[in-house]
Amino acid sequence: MSSASQPINQLPKPSILERLVQRHSKLAIALVVVFIIIFVYGMVTAPNFLTLFNLKTIIRDAALVGIMAIGLTFVTLSGNFFLLSMKETAALCIIAFATGMASGWGFELSFLFTMVFALLAGISQGALIGIGGNPIVVTLGAAGVLYGLGAYWSDNLVVSYRRPHGAEWLGTGSFLGLPNITVAFILIAISAELLLRKTSFGRQVYLIGANRAAGRATGHENFWMAIKVCTIASVCSAFVAIAFSAQVSSAQVNYFSSEFGSSGDMTIMVIATVMVGGNSIMGGFGSTLRSSFGAIFISTVDNMMVLHGFNSGPRVFAVGLMIVFSIIVFAILRRGSRSEE
Amino acid sequence: MVEQLLSLSEITRSFGAINALKDVSFDVKPGEVMGLVGENGAGKSSLVKIIGGFDSGFSGQFTFAGKQARFSGPVMAERAGIAIAQQELSLIPTMSVAENVLLVGDNVPKIATKRQLRKLVKPFLLEVGLDYIDPATSVERLSVGERHLVEVARLIAHDPQLLILDEPTAALGETDSIRILEMVERLVKRGKSVIYVSHRLDEIFKICDRITILRDGRSVAVKKTQELSVSELVNLMLGRELENMFPKRISSSSKIPLLRVRNLWPDGLLEPVDIDIFPGEILGLAGQLGSGTGEILSAIAGAHSIRGGNLEMDGRVFMPKTPNDAINAKIAYCSEDRKHDGLFLGRPILENITSTALKRITNFGILQPPSEHMLANDIAKGFTIDNSRLLSDAGVLSGGNQQKVALGKWLAINPKVILVNEPTRGVDVGARAEIYQTLHKLAEQGTAIVVASTDLQEITNLPTRIIAFYRGLKVSELGYDEVSAENILTQITDPFGAAKLKR
Repeated sequence: MSSASQPINQLPKPSILERLVQRHSKLAIALVVVFIIIFVYGMVTAPNFLTLFNLKTIIRDAALVGIMAIGLTFVTLSGNFFLLSMKETAALCIIAFATGMASGWGFELSFLFTMVFALLAGISQGALIGIGGNPIVVTLGAAGVLYGLGAYWSDNLVVSYRRPHGAEWLGTGSFLGLPNITVAFILIAISAELLLRKTSFGRQVYLIGANRAAGRATGHENFWMAIKVCTIASVCSAFVAIAFSAQVSSAQVNYFSSEFGSSGDMTIMVIATVMVGGNSIMGGFGSTLRSSFGAIFISTVDNMMVLHGFNSGPRVFAVGLMIVFSIIVFAILRRGSRSEE
Repeated sequence: MVEQLLSLSEITRSFGAINALKDVSFDVKPGEVMGLVGENGAGKSSLVKIIGGFDSGFSGQFTFAGKQARFSGPVMAERAGIAIAQQELSLIPTMSVAENVLLVGDNVPKIATKRQLRKLVKPFLLEVGLDYIDPATSVERLSVGERHLVEVARLIAHDPQLLILDEPTAALGETDSIRILEMVERLVKRGKSVIYVSHRLDEIFKICDRITILRDGRSVAVKKTQELSVSELVNLMLGRELENMFPKRISSSSKIPLLRVRNLWPDGLLEPVDIDIFPGEILGLAGQLGSGTGEILSAIAGAHSIRGGNLEMDGRVFMPKTPNDAINAKIAYCSEDRKHDGLFLGRPILENITSTALKRITNFGILQPPSEHMLANDIAKGFTIDNSRLLSDAGVLSGGNQQKVALGKWLAINPKVILVNEPTRGVDVGARAEIYQTLHKLAEQGTAIVVASTDLQEITNLPTRIIAFYRGLKVSELGYDEVSAENILTQITDPFGAAKLKR
């Protein structure tokens, strides 16, 4: 079918603003504008916000949650919802890593030792989800098991190891003025995006997420996909656990339940990050890049509120609002783009 | 002449430029069973929706029980005395039969013990012939046929003047169907009127007093059943020829089967089937909804559970356990529901087309955009899909173009066998013709194509030969010269001649 070529220069080209208003719903635009006003106001009035040091702090704070969120994004994009065991996987892994370090195995061996646990956690949860288990139920159960193992293993005590140790470069080192954990975040974000966009695996993630039945019909079974994406998410959790342990030279099973973000709960922060990034909860639409920006965005707002002197209550409230806000805006935008149907 | 209970005249209903109904007349007398027949898309369900109050956007005269009527919703129609039993049941499976029957209604007490409910529900169950079941049984433990009867009991509890049964036996076996027919006879004896919509001509001839035939949105005839023969009815249903949409049928094919299906017993069929599929032919599986043709196709493609059987192709005996196995054997399967498992609506058309053959467009797992575009362009050209829209979401396409994508994506695997269930459901005439042309071309190139369809025109004019199914049974095979609409319709509606025997 040949598409008739039409003269283009008949109408004056609408400006970017006009096109924006034409293409998207006014409600979504209004919401975004209101948000930007609040955001800019907060930014300008916050003391010391626009300093290089503070910007670096924001990204460094975003890194740990961001890396985990990138891993979880694969699960969400493939239509397997969320892993509610993200922080528990990290809890078991941090104990494993610190135990290795404390036993004098050195960084490399401890790293591999930790990854064994991550792989086991990812593969087993993935297989259960892949054969049709409900992701919420499976990962809630897994969360209990993983946390329980970690607590039993460490006797609920802090496992510490002394500086100098082989993991310091990851925890506190820096490269060209950027903390190494920030560099790792950037590298992981780029490679995850490439994996999704440029590989056959990434394509399968989107296809199965967009329509699992059609995925199966075209030869892409969710069983293997669930195993792969859960493993990626678990490995990201383990990496964060290692990086965090390297910062504080210790481990305790409760680190990821109390130390993170404004709400302190790593799983909640990670899910919030994926949502704020605008990834579809049903799968098939979104990207890891969105999650990376979601992490930086949440971290920015959080940082701004800290500079304004808010304590943790309002900051948790703000994270909650951001989730609701982004779900509404992205839902309206998506619906708008489908209106041709 | 008896006063009409329901009378419709000059009813027209249009959706945009399409007339679903045009100048339709329809009437029902008290105590009468009126049959409503017509091909798929003839306008039966549009008419039923208007009568039942689901659709008020029509023009024309509608009187019910002597009064002008235009119902704003199904509840209004129900109050006036019209009840519809639809194909999709509206029962709550976890609740008991008694609770379901007395779920809503004026004469239902607000508070009642289980014993009271049981007593209240008895007469309704008796009326539909379900007096042998305990009203406290939960609905999910009943057979599908019994559930249909419970649904009718629920409707009767409102004491309707007119009961509409929309294909009540489409999903039922023989015994349950007989129960439905018996129930209709009982109701009519008590002075109720029934509109009976069905594809099954044997049933129509058994219980209807008069028959209204719809074709292309018009009522072409109203006849007394005694004055009508099966072949006359079929002629009235089919009417004018539309055959130029179809390419000339392929008459001959290779003598050596490409795919032998042996003892294949998909769940839902009554006995195993053997089918030989030859290269270069279009084999048609004819049958109504519930005849098992779709199950056979999906079983061959590894997408449906089976009790046994195997396939033989190129000297290899195997049985696909998953669709992926079938794809590896170059068997493509396109289901009847493209939105469910045929398309990735939220993804670009390009990705939809290449989804079956990621191996062809990747190199060591890395996507190769140039070869992906080339492949998608080739297929789009073959299926007349607009090349310039390859990057927009499949969801924005019209039904016809969606179907072309759903089918076209299989060309990416260079299939040897293409199985298609309902190739043109919900597809406009233009796209239909293009799909037929493409299937034809593929067959001429040596692909074996199997089409299952409930569309009589399609199944008459497209295939080289036909295998007919009736309620899970293979009833006959029609060779090239035996394929005709009359023959097929007889085989899929009344293969054992039951309708003729009675009259």
